[in-house]
Amino acid sequence: MFFNNAFAFLKKDLLNEMSYKLSFCLQIAGIFVSVAMLFFISRLFGQAQIPAIAKYGGDYFAFVIIGVAFSSYLEVSVNSMSRKIREGQMMGTLEALLATQAELPTIIISSSLYSFLFTSVRVLVYILIGVIVFGLNIGGANYPGAIIILVLSIIAFSSIGILSASFIMIFKKGDPVARIFSSLSWLLGGVYYPIEILPQWLEKVSLFLPITHSLEGMRFALLKGYDLRALMPSIICLILFTVIVMPVSLLFFSSAVKFAKRDGSLTQY
Amino acid sequence: MHNIIEVRNLTKYYPAIKNAKDFLLSPFRRHHVLALDDINLDVERGSILGLLGPNGAGKTTLIKILSTLVHPTSGSARINGFDVVRQERQVRRSIGIVMTEERSFYWRLTGRQNLEFFATLNNLNSRQRDKRVHEVLCQTELDKDGDRMFKDYSTGMKQRLAIARGLLCDPDVILLDEPTRSLDPHAARNMRDFLKEKIIGQTRRSAILATHNLQEVEALCSHVAIIKNGSLIIQETIDTLKAQTAGDYYLLRLASNRTSIDLGSLPAVQGLMPLFGTPNLFQVKTDKISTVLKEIMDRGGTVEECVRKKVTLEDIFSKAIKG
Repeated sequence: MFFNNAFAFLKKDLLNEMSYKLSFCLQIAGIFVSVAMLFFISRLFGQAQIPAIAKYGGDYFAFVIIGVAFSSYLEVSVNSMSRKIREGQMMGTLEALLATQAELPTIIISSSLYSFLFTSVRVLVYILIGVIVFGLNIGGANYPGAIIILVLSIIAFSSIGILSASFIMIFKKGDPVARIFSSLSWLLGGVYYPIEILPQWLEKVSLFLPITHSLEGMRFALLKGYDLRALMPSIICLILFTVIVMPVSLLFFSSAVKFAKRDGSLTQY
Repeated sequence: MHNIIEVRNLTKYYPAIKNAKDFLLSPFRRHHVLALDDINLDVERGSILGLLGPNGAGKTTLIKILSTLVHPTSGSARINGFDVVRQERQVRRSIGIVMTEERSFYWRLTGRQNLEFFATLNNLNSRQRDKRVHEVLCQTELDKDGDRMFKDYSTGMKQRLAIARGLLCDPDVILLDEPTRSLDPHAARNMRDFLKEKIIGQTRRSAILATHNLQEVEALCSHVAIIKNGSLIIQETIDTLKAQTAGDYYLLRLASNRTSIDLGSLPAVQGLMPLFGTPNLFQVKTDKISTVLKEIMDRGGTVEECVRKKVTLEDIFSKAIKG
């Protein structure tokens, strides 16, 4: 049933997005604009090898394109669930969805799938353009390892997304969780620069963020082709983060739904 | 099971928004608004209950509790034997909710696409879904417009699509929240006829119809419940209610120059009362009419009009709400 529901949401969102033709075209065009930006950054650095990123192969363009591409999953995982709840509350569709036989977690997860699909297309385009146009070398990549890291990263990021959705369920607007987590991740997670250049105490803080381990694992898998054993530190950190945060998030979410139903504010905005 | 819906001692408080004074004087005290007060209600299998009440009476809260969208503060409600708090999934399997809020649809999808989407969420597989969507589109006479975008539908078509959505699971109970709201009188009448002929009349489905529209209740419902300030003040069959209340009466209009007759002193006219604040218009009980007419003639009064009236639900509703 979950897959039927998930597919129904995906189809509905795709039809809906495609009906706004201009917006849909702009979204696609936006991908190419981002890649162009990365191209100019890469021209700045040229073929220079940067010692700070030597452990990833030393090529800044390769480093940053993977950072930017895969951190889009962070944005989607953290924000899309709460955004969909808010959207449903504002548009008035949430009540109709909740009146169906689908469970609330299914609704929330399925409603985010289109964003994940679109992000995956964007990441794929980034990587393809990187390979074809800018000579990004991922020929020796460990793709199964990269997929494992990606899946674990999405689950880890989503645990924060669920926490964020719980806040939106109760407070409707002004969720602090997603904002703080996203800002810290962009600042300290090693998207544009390696964490080694941070002051030592900030570098320690960055180790508590899943994106740090996600990007490190992804870069090792794609750029260095590390095997699963070598990727294990990143994998363990991501699993550990999920095991600690996910139950708390689910508990919060369940309590938030009960609270909103008692409060009568489930569909209010 | 005789009753398909059983509500017992159902009470609902909503938290009230504190004003500045409350924030300063009692920042930690919770303030509440009573929405439903110890409601007990039974709906027999196969019956249609009209839920009446002025704005803010608690009708929508009751519908939302029965729909599992809001939890009660205390008491219980069961649909088809399932508890609305502990067995939400089974309850939602038993009910079809007709939300006539047009924002509850996806405007840039067609009517058919909307129904297909909601049918999937109601666990219909693709074959059942296509068959059922076709059936409900035909049932609601939208089969020719199923492939038009929802945004291009008229208000009446949107309401009918909402009904179609409520029927997707072929539910045992259908909950209708003001199905003719925002329709013009002609469209509202068509919708009532449509509900009577196609949706309610042809099946042994049970329904609760929350509405302000008394004509709608008289036309469609077998039972009526009136809620006032969160309390259930009447629950009866419409026929019993009419029989229990004043019964039929006569409307008597005297010539305006003869209103000085002291009708109040007539010996047998308890139950004769002036209406609408007019001095020459009276309501007379049917069993008193001959006595009253004779007395008026004897005293030189002139009766301009004497019409037998049936007690309407509107009369009962007004009396209940004022009382």
